[in-house]
Amino acid sequence: MRQLISRADQINEAELLTLKKRLKWASIVLLAFAIILVTRLWFLQILKGKEYFELSENNRIRLHWLNAPRGMIADRQGRPLIANRPYFNVTLAREDAPNPADLLNRLATILEVDVNELLGRIREGEDYPRYVPILLKQDLDWKKLVAIENHLYDLPGIRIDVLPSREYFYENLGSHLFGYLGQINEKELADNEGEYQRNDQLGKLGLERIYEEQLRGEPGRRYLEVDAQGFEQREVSVQQPLPGSDLKLTIDRDLQDVAEDALGSVAGAAVVMEVATGRILAIASSPPLELNKFVGGISRKNWDAMQADELKPLTNKATQGQYPPGSTYKMVVALAGLSEGVINADTTFFCNGAMKFKDRDYHCWKKHGHGTVSLERALAESCDVFFYSVGMRVGVDKLAQYAKSLGLGQPTGINLEHEKGGVVPSSDWKKRRFNQPWHEGETMSISIGQGYDLATPLQICQMTSTLVNGGIRYRPQIIEAIMDADGKVAKGFEPIVDGQALGKAHSLNLIRAGMVAAVNTPHGTAGIARSSTILVGAKTGTAQVVKVEQYKHLKEKDIPYKYRDHAWFTCFAPAEKPEIAITVLVEHGLHGATGAGPVARRLLKEYFKGIRLTKQKEGEVEDEGVEDNVAL
Amino acid sequence: MLRFDRRLFLHFDWALLVTLLAVVGISLMNLYSASHVGYLGTPPYVKQIYYYLAGGMLMLAIISFDYRRLLKLNYLIYGGVVVLLIAAMLFGKTTMGAQRWINLGFIKLQPSELAKLSMVITLASYYCRKDTGKGFRLLELIPPAALLLVPFALIVEQPDLGTALMLVFVFVSMTLFVKLRIGTVIILLMLIVPLVPLAWKHGLKPYQRQRVTTLFAPENDPLGAGYHIMQSKIAVGSGQTFGKGYLAGTQVHLDFLPERHTDFAFSVLAEEWGFAGAVFFLCWYFFLVFLGLNVAGAARDKFGVLLAFGVTSLLFWQAFVNMAMVLGLLPVVGMPLPLFSYGGSSLLTNLAGIGILLSVRMRRFSRGGE
Repeated sequence: MRQLISRADQINEAELLTLKKRLKWASIVLLAFAIILVTRLWFLQILKGKEYFELSENNRIRLHWLNAPRGMIADRQGRPLIANRPYFNVTLAREDAPNPADLLNRLATILEVDVNELLGRIREGEDYPRYVPILLKQDLDWKKLVAIENHLYDLPGIRIDVLPSREYFYENLGSHLFGYLGQINEKELADNEGEYQRNDQLGKLGLERIYEEQLRGEPGRRYLEVDAQGFEQREVSVQQPLPGSDLKLTIDRDLQDVAEDALGSVAGAAVVMEVATGRILAIASSPPLELNKFVGGISRKNWDAMQADELKPLTNKATQGQYPPGSTYKMVVALAGLSEGVINADTTFFCNGAMKFKDRDYHCWKKHGHGTVSLERALAESCDVFFYSVGMRVGVDKLAQYAKSLGLGQPTGINLEHEKGGVVPSSDWKKRRFNQPWHEGETMSISIGQGYDLATPLQICQMTSTLVNGGIRYRPQIIEAIMDADGKVAKGFEPIVDGQALGKAHSLNLIRAGMVAAVNTPHGTAGIARSSTILVGAKTGTAQVVKVEQYKHLKEKDIPYKYRDHAWFTCFAPAEKPEIAITVLVEHGLHGATGAGPVARRLLKEYFKGIRLTKQKEGEVEDEGVEDNVAL
Repeated sequence: MLRFDRRLFLHFDWALLVTLLAVVGISLMNLYSASHVGYLGTPPYVKQIYYYLAGGMLMLAIISFDYRRLLKLNYLIYGGVVVLLIAAMLFGKTTMGAQRWINLGFIKLQPSELAKLSMVITLASYYCRKDTGKGFRLLELIPPAALLLVPFALIVEQPDLGTALMLVFVFVSMTLFVKLRIGTVIILLMLIVPLVPLAWKHGLKPYQRQRVTTLFAPENDPLGAGYHIMQSKIAVGSGQTFGKGYLAGTQVHLDFLPERHTDFAFSVLAEEWGFAGAVFFLCWYFFLVFLGLNVAGAARDKFGVLLAFGVTSLLFWQAFVNMAMVLGLLPVVGMPLPLFSYGGSSLLTNLAGIGILLSVRMRRFSRGGE
């Protein structure tokens, strides 16, 4: 560096001098520009000062923000699910209201509300500068709107704001998914300084919140001339708002509708996923959120009631509900057993209804046993003894590796709020969590998806997809495209691969065959999904909630609701070239096939239009239950 | 490392520092008036104090750093800024339709601000390495023009027309300063003049065009389009000779003047202190710029001269464009008044610039950097 500079200096010392001489010219330019500015100041302030002073005294131009039309939410076929309609809101600019008490009394009469309600609204906004309008009443109906418009000249300071707001085409459809909009609160205002105005709406939950930035657009400005009383005289200029981007979801409206309808009023979840892309076609949680209770702020009473509800409407059970996976976990055990060489397609175990370990009997759900079973029959008939045997030979830590490779034990990464990751136990995990060593008896429970095992319905659906698509773990996604206001796709769907199932393709084929057998063999547990036109594969699951001796011998209907077993059903179709995976969980639904199966059946029917499903006769279903197998 | 050298202290530019402090003081006083009511959380004038403190420390760091090292580091700086600009494009936060910020948590960084300073350093380094005695020919202008074009295109894309134009102003000033051949100037004019209508039609976004036409809209229609300009002119003009008094500007406090603590801070000053106050402030401000040129004149080497000149021209053009906009002489572009308007990124950049000036001045008798 020194060389560079000194060379430049020495070769051309004269150059330095000429440069410096040129600075004189720069100073002259500087002076000239300073004179321009001073002259302009003189012109504005001295020459025209009086004129401008008067203008400033009579300045009556107001700026109003125009909310941008919020982006729409449509399903995968572009059918609108949520759009906008205008809301007519009444606001008050205190600055323009010389006699607010009198004004509010008259307004209360027109609106047919208690004047104290209006006063309360004003008190909330008292700390704000007086020109900031205060929202008095939201979403006027037509009659009241006309009444106010007619009296507007007797109501100085009162304005009607037209606010585009949400219109829901299907009440409560996808309520957990879409979330809702609400008025911005103090904290949100402070966190987004300068970007929101008071009275603005913003997404509070679900996609409305997650994609707030895209959906919102940019507000516009409207300049109005007002007279000395604050009445609008005319519009001076408008800068139109920039509409928000539209969301096109991967969700299929009909499928979502069927999922929610089929779940009905029970507590549960259903997920439909494209196995080769990770697109979520339906994701339902029931009971739905009653969104109308949230708009404008939920009351303490409603909130407490929702929290106390044993059907837990506040939880999105598809992503936030964690349940023992029960027999749906047997695919994990099968994959680990095959890949670790513990079993092959022909390995058999003998099931006499129970397996003894350390002086304890671990039962199979079938009291008198399955006899000699191979893998295919064990999956088809959900033989517990077979999987105890495999699980014990593989060991808990190896099982955990396979489970994790199928996506269990970690959030799937779907872009939804507060997703839970479930639990895949291992000896390390237990050491960390409870500071206790692993007991081998616990491996027995793990092998049939009980004990510490926990999974969300979304995870089981992803697992099913991964098992049948050749072992590729796609991240579940719900956004098909984000489209800007011109309809251009700003961000399109691209599958994301998050991992690869451990094990060979051959092992996956065997598991697939077992699941097909569960549907299509006479004693299979999942016969409810049988079809004469499409080959379906499935696995039922029944997850014990708690071990309670006293209820053991009661009839199922007499067991208190919260102690009944959870019902799982996960399936895929068509078996030859799987397109979709469907997972259904019904809380306390007792049995996989009868509790959750019918929901999956209806979803299959909706997706494969024209599919013929075999009729199930009452009482003929081979349905697994749970014996008291949990090592607690 | 900074070896303590008595001469460094001796040649410290105290006049520049005092002038800077005067501008800072006026700025804070004015910002208080513009932003002490109606804000949730920390009001801007308090935040600005933090930014000044941070900027002061940055300045100290730069002073202790021999400016001649920038000559070696310049492409690293240039590359870093280009990477940041691309990052802002990909992950940046969108405000008012433009992607300008990267949120670092403690500050919302605007890489386009850094780009201004990096342009100065890059061009100073480039011209320093070239023999500039005979003046540039047209073809010789291609490499520096390419250096301009990359950040320029990225900033236009955001879009931030004000900052992009600033890069061009700095480029033109510095290139003219190192001398062009007269033939080159003529050819360039012949090439550029026909391009202007084309750029008008295709280069500008509708709102940008609107701002320019607004400027030339008849003055006698006070309710015509152009709220910003109109309200700003009313604010400045109504200040008259001695102003409406501190904290008493009606334009400001009745919320007629938008963006009053950022781009339009100068009109608050002019409203409350009148012609006398505005000219008083202008004197300090232009004296600061003049001292910048003085540093260039006192520099020991060519790089120092070019660097000081570049920093000064950057400061000057930002200030002029802002004031001319506030006074209704130029269309509204996003351009803060350096060292005066509220805003962390701009302040840090310009204080860094002053730091470079002080560094050049201090080292006028020391040779070599190491």
